[in-house]
Amino acid sequence: MTTDVHRLTVVTEETGFTRFRRRFGSVIAHALLVIASIIMLYPLLWMLSASFRPTDEIFNSGLWPSEFSLDAYFRGWKGLKVSFGTFFLNSFIISILSIAGNVFACSLAAFAFARLEFKGRKFWFAMMLGTLMLPYQVTLIPQYVLFLNLGWVNSFLPLVVPKFLASDAFFIFLMVQFFRGIPKELDEAAMMDGCSPWRIYWKVMLPLSQPVLATAAIFTFIWTWDDFFGPLIYLNDMRQYTVTLGLRTFVDSTAESDWGGLFAMSVLSLVPVFLFFLFFQRLLIEGIATTGMKR
Amino acid sequence: MTTRSFGETITTAPKERSPARSTWQRLWSANGPGYLFLLPWFIGFFGLTVGPILSSFYLSFTDFNLLNPPKWVGLANYTRIFTADPKFVQSMRVTFFFVVFSVPLKLAFALGVALLLNRGMKGLPLYRAVFYLPSLLGASVAIAVLWRQLFAGDGVVNDFLALFGIQGPSWISNPRFSLWTLIILSIWQFGSPMIIFLAGLRQIPQDMYEAASLDGASKWRQFWKITLPLLTPVVFFNAVIQTIEAFKSFTPAFIISGGTGNPINSTLFYTLYLYQEAFGFFRMGYASALAWILLAIVALFTAFSFLTSKYWVHYDD
Amino acid sequence: MTIRIDRRQFLMGSTALLAAGAVGVGPALAQDTRMRLIFWGSQARADRTNGVTDLFEKANAGTTIDTEFLAWNDYWPKLATQTAGGNAPDVIQMDYRYIVEYAKRGAIAPLDDLSTQLALKDFDQDQIDGGKVDGKLYGISLGANSVALIVNTAAFQEAGVDVPGPATTYEDLKTIGEAFKSKNVRGGMKAFQDGSGVEPALENWLRQQGKALYTADGKPGFTAEDLTAWFQLWADLRDAGVIVSADEQALDTGPLEQTMVSLGKAAVTFANSNQLVAFQAINKDKLTLANFPRLTADSKGGHYRKPSMFWSISGSSAIKDRAAEFVGFFVNDPEAGKVLGVERGIPCSAAVREAITPTLDEGSQIALKFVSGLGDLLGPLPPSPPANAGEVATALLTKSQEVAFGQQSPTDAGPAFFQEASEILSRAG
Repeated sequence: MTTDVHRLTVVTEETGFTRFRRRFGSVIAHALLVIASIIMLYPLLWMLSASFRPTDEIFNSGLWPSEFSLDAYFRGWKGLKVSFGTFFLNSFIISILSIAGNVFACSLAAFAFARLEFKGRKFWFAMMLGTLMLPYQVTLIPQYVLFLNLGWVNSFLPLVVPKFLASDAFFIFLMVQFFRGIPKELDEAAMMDGCSPWRIYWKVMLPLSQPVLATAAIFTFIWTWDDFFGPLIYLNDMRQYTVTLGLRTFVDSTAESDWGGLFAMSVLSLVPVFLFFLFFQRLLIEGIATTGMKR
Repeated sequence: MTTRSFGETITTAPKERSPARSTWQRLWSANGPGYLFLLPWFIGFFGLTVGPILSSFYLSFTDFNLLNPPKWVGLANYTRIFTADPKFVQSMRVTFFFVVFSVPLKLAFALGVALLLNRGMKGLPLYRAVFYLPSLLGASVAIAVLWRQLFAGDGVVNDFLALFGIQGPSWISNPRFSLWTLIILSIWQFGSPMIIFLAGLRQIPQDMYEAASLDGASKWRQFWKITLPLLTPVVFFNAVIQTIEAFKSFTPAFIISGGTGNPINSTLFYTLYLYQEAFGFFRMGYASALAWILLAIVALFTAFSFLTSKYWVHYDD
Repeated sequence: MTIRIDRRQFLMGSTALLAAGAVGVGPALAQDTRMRLIFWGSQARADRTNGVTDLFEKANAGTTIDTEFLAWNDYWPKLATQTAGGNAPDVIQMDYRYIVEYAKRGAIAPLDDLSTQLALKDFDQDQIDGGKVDGKLYGISLGANSVALIVNTAAFQEAGVDVPGPATTYEDLKTIGEAFKSKNVRGGMKAFQDGSGVEPALENWLRQQGKALYTADGKPGFTAEDLTAWFQLWADLRDAGVIVSADEQALDTGPLEQTMVSLGKAAVTFANSNQLVAFQAINKDKLTLANFPRLTADSKGGHYRKPSMFWSISGSSAIKDRAAEFVGFFVNDPEAGKVLGVERGIPCSAAVREAITPTLDEGSQIALKFVSGLGDLLGPLPPSPPANAGEVATALLTKSQEVAFGQQSPTDAGPAFFQEASEILSRAG
């Protein structure tokens, strides 16, 4: 007992030199981060500045616009026959539903692969991974025909229902890796208490997996928000278009395009995703301060 | 205590229990939970995925122009790919080059920045958001314009280089350098693997570090002995996923080259070539064959990764 | 028991109601048509198109038209997917390059039997012919246009040279280039873009020699020597500094904003006559149209009036008659013409042209006059391109880049391209 206390004291005493080295290291770290941030953000800053300019100035002036105008934002918002408000709403609906589907269905499947024994587990795991490897361009047409026969085309169903059926193998794989990092002793303790697999999943696994679930939520939101091929193929009615699809109709290579409107709406479309990320990343911080206490 | 998990047939059940269970019951208690949890995935797999996948395999042996029913041609597509298609070779070259350079660099940045951010410094959430922001731009058409503004002959990068007296070429429109602009674009969007590394770092219990400090271990030792080993499942995941994604990379090349893969096919990614064949030239059968070849390559690589993973990846189970 | 009787009564009652309803509503349902329309373009084009569909809906009570539009790059995959699924819209905007593919595969319907509904009265004959594949009519031209040079008049003023005109030859380009160089216009702006990879430019150049890109049976209409001469022509211009450099031209990946004129790298770019308005919207300098250069002072016939785009009717449409009525309305009605202007091209109906001329803005007037004022530069319509023509155009662009970047000499590139083009064309099936 006393030895530990003694050691503790030794460790917490810092010489002046050590403190200086720590601060210096910290300064370097911050400096590096700031420089890196500027480099990372430059393209976005350019886009932001372009959104405040008249169209014929966008491509041949420097970073700072000669005149600030919000015109592109108004034009872009009303630009298409259907306002961008509708596009934002559609994107939200699809994204939120996709998150619910993904988080729930993929964690179920991942729990099975990571924690349960059953015949053919390795085989099905390989099959699951296999679905990740095929480029979507070739399953596109057969899948389209399938959904057409189900009568789901021109609705959100082909975009959302697969999420509830764990179609995103990426997340299953991700969660498997995370689940395998959680100590099995916790499962066993619960089993001793007579918990069923479901209770273990619900009471033990999920609460401890907040980081990976938050990660899955963030990624799902962003990917469905950015997805254009799915909406392109399955949505006919412009009133159902998503933001990304709407953005693409701004720029047509054969006729007049509204680049200012495009940039303005691109900036706007970043806002929800960014906010979502900011909100959920806290769950990544408040991670596993409590892992392993139940020993 | 020996590790046990659900599914192991419980043969040590107390004798007071009911008479021997039937085969079905035994099978059920053994495999039941597993299959039940997988039920949504099974429905999705058999209902929505398997059909189209088998369809695309069938299509790879046909001549299918999208507007008429497919016509069986046997191995003709595959033969042509391997013997008479210079664009196939070119797109393979481009894609492999891209994978070899973009994946390690991207992972290095992701891990490096994640470690930096994991110190819990001031402004951490802000930095994290800043580094993730580029990844949000995804498939935006705006990226093409941005990248041109940066990397064209009179672009920002060259303006910057001119400060040092270097006269840069037109990076984005010169066949020798154009692929590098795409590699840089991929690295710029390292936010996704970075977030995953962060989540993994956060999952390492703090008391391990405390215990190590008490034992007098330096920060460097702690990194090698605690952080890295416990991070290997995540490193493995990121490496495999990023490689698969890099092989399948489509949108950046599509957007920046306008779907052409130019200049001189120097940005002709494999899936871009596939897309051209499928939708540009109405040769969906040929495109399906291309897709399955890619699948084979990626599957081989992934299998190899999994087999060798047991030598360096530490799982707690 | 009471319930059962009630249920049966209910079932019988509702069936009777339904039957009566069906009979009663019958005739009304037959009039209620829902038409689907798809086209590529921008919001500007969509506004005009929707203006016309509104007019048609007003004049035809009971018909509703759902329009859908996409950018060019997204349009073709979506249309192909919908067609593959048997789900294509009724009225489809079609392009010269793809109409052969779609027609030969039956994805679009022949329109010869729908002439009463189409009611083309004073339609330009060459525009009707332009929509024929193998002798059958598959598309109705939505406007005539021709290839044209987009010219930056302000830059030419600074160089002190006249803008290209009907008498300009490829030789003259050298003089123009010299003027730009000596005056150092805009700090290094070249006179022309690099046209070696522009398929319409090659076609125009071949036609002036009495040749063609493709023969009527789908073979190359040119020789390897022709292509060598073509690549050499542009290599000389490149060496003389008349045209932009290789990596400048490679910045042009298709959109109007990436062309040499819009990027400020050259004063002339190859385009189509109906794109003047769109170009002007993104350029501060005043632009005008000019014809493609002549080979020699008296070579002619390079240009032709081509249909800029068509309306076709889907092969699987259930309302072909109605759709044809709409198409006829679109191209014949003067009010519709006023809404559309010349955004898609010069209207093919003389009556519509007359009606809209006074309403056109300056850019549109220039476009209108340009096509009708081509004189001996105009030649006959070529046969419809073979199935893989698009692929040949792509190959030309890549090959031209190889020459421009010095990876292949014109002497080698000519035969190499001829070989490639022949292979591509023979794959068509």
